Amino acid sequence: MTVRAGFTGTPMDTSSSRRGGGWRLLGLAALLCGVLAVFGDDYQLRFAAEIFLVGTAVMSLNVLVGYAGLVSLGHAALFGAAAYGAAVAAQHWGSDLLLMLPVGVACGMALAALMALVSYRSAGLFFLVLTLVVGQMTWEVVFRWRAVTGGADGLRGFPALTVAGLPASHPLALYALALTLALACGWVLRAFVSAPVGHAVQGMRDQPLRMRALGYHLGRLRLQAFLVTGAVAGAAGSIYPFVNQYVGPNTVHWSMSATLVIMSVLGGIATLAGGFVGAALYLVAQTQLSSWTDRWQLLIGLLFVLTVIFVPQGIVPALRRRFRS
Amino acid sequence: MAYIVVQILNALSFSVLLLLTGLGLSLVLSLMNFVNLTHGSIFLLGSYIGVQWMASGAPWWMAFPAAFVLTGLVGAVLDRYPFRQFYPRTHLMQVLLTYGLSVVFADLMRWGFGADTLSPVLPELLQGVVFVMGFPFPVYRLFLIATGATLALALWWAIERTLWGAAIRACVIDRGIVETLGIDTRRLLTVGVVLAAALGGLGGALGAGMLSAYPGLDEEVLLLALLVVVVGGLGSFTGTVVSALLIGFVTTFARMWLPEFANFLTLGMMALVLMVFPHGLLGRETRQL
Repeated sequence: MTVRAGFTGTPMDTSSSRRGGGWRLLGLAALLCGVLAVFGDDYQLRFAAEIFLVGTAVMSLNVLVGYAGLVSLGHAALFGAAAYGAAVAAQHWGSDLLLMLPVGVACGMALAALMALVSYRSAGLFFLVLTLVVGQMTWEVVFRWRAVTGGADGLRGFPALTVAGLPASHPLALYALALTLALACGWVLRAFVSAPVGHAVQGMRDQPLRMRALGYHLGRLRLQAFLVTGAVAGAAGSIYPFVNQYVGPNTVHWSMSATLVIMSVLGGIATLAGGFVGAALYLVAQTQLSSWTDRWQLLIGLLFVLTVIFVPQGIVPALRRRFRS
Repeated sequence: MAYIVVQILNALSFSVLLLLTGLGLSLVLSLMNFVNLTHGSIFLLGSYIGVQWMASGAPWWMAFPAAFVLTGLVGAVLDRYPFRQFYPRTHLMQVLLTYGLSVVFADLMRWGFGADTLSPVLPELLQGVVFVMGFPFPVYRLFLIATGATLALALWWAIERTLWGAAIRACVIDRGIVETLGIDTRRLLTVGVVLAAALGGLGGALGAGMLSAYPGLDEEVLLLALLVVVVGGLGSFTGTVVSALLIGFVTTFARMWLPEFANFLTLGMMALVLMVFPHGLLGRETRQL
């Protein structure tokens, strides 16, 4: 049996948001964000902030899966561990963003490093299962360590979020904070994928053997990709408890990881903006469906199936093609 | 000492279940490189079929063939649509498709069979306990070990010692060559998928007497079965047997000594094994192209 090369599929267009179609879409997105900030009520602002944070996590997964070709089923663990880390730290030392962010980033990176270490020598299906295993180990810790994580009940009732002492718990402030974080993370990830190391990582996805022959150390490249995406997912996770006002063990469960992957595919795998589109579509669908019927899980499952059958390339690449022509 | 013996028997019965489930998953994975995350759902469906059948008053022993055939049929339908288009696709797409389907199946089963834990009404023959060195041990689990071991042996014989098995094994190595010999490999692969689903369902029906049937069991079983396949190494029958025993024993004894950390320990041990053997215990080294 041979391991399929480039196993996320065909290499995709990686630098197109700077072209004409991209600008128009970007303008549309900015307009939408502005309208929401002015006219949105508290609930909508919180929901939008949640979309930004989850979207940021999906964006980091896009880099891991789409650019580095590392299909991980444990990404929610990075996001969730950071959320738990921040929530626990907030209860002890107060919740200032200047503390939450480093704690979240550290949690995300530490777990990402562990994942990279455990999966150091494996590829393909073995890699997938190992990330799943590390993710589920995190879930076990979160679920059993009741004294700290609240077990199955999760954690709620955090002190109000502040930024360098200034209160930031108003929904509009959370919205602005999440949007800023999303943009900053997008900038970091764009810098990473267009830097030499980012190109090397894409080379690892398409031609691992040739990259090795060129003298690249695949394990080190993989570790770097993991650390960057872990830091971004961790940064997003560190604010998540304050936006959502609750963290539960489901945040680290592998079904959440699979959900992040479907958001990523829905938006478009090797695109950064796709993360937000996928997260928005999925979260809106989930909220609407669960308020409409008890059988919403069935419909969410169908959403997975329909996505991979009908839009396996994602929505953002499809939109781009349309806008460009 | 006697307590340990009873626990060894417990571990064996769990291993046999893992083996039956893992063999189906392994067959599909090594035959067509297809990651089938609906395997847990098929297992749970088999459990529900077993429970319903034994409650219906029909001859109890028919429950197992019934589960085998019905879940095999489900496998045949799935193979036709939508699995077939996904065989040549990437693992990522296969995982998402089958994960989505498993969510759909889980919800359908919760709808159809309710959210309660259902246990089968066992026939008198299999009820009660025998005393092993003074400790009680359920008769059903002995039946489980015997049946499971027999089935695994039969499957081993079919794959390693018959012409059909030889064709299937050849398909794993080079499908094109088998096709040139005039064998319809498409049909052979369908047989593989149906057999895998049927084995999963049979495992579920047998397992219902030990694990019962409840929503969420599908996911637990799926995770363990994936571990069995991966730790054993793809395409290795012996490897699957060894890893089923390993995981069965580790889980059972971890549950006995450190119940709180049992799952964590099992997952951790398996991660360690995979760190040392990146292709599984008995898997062949894969060539990267």
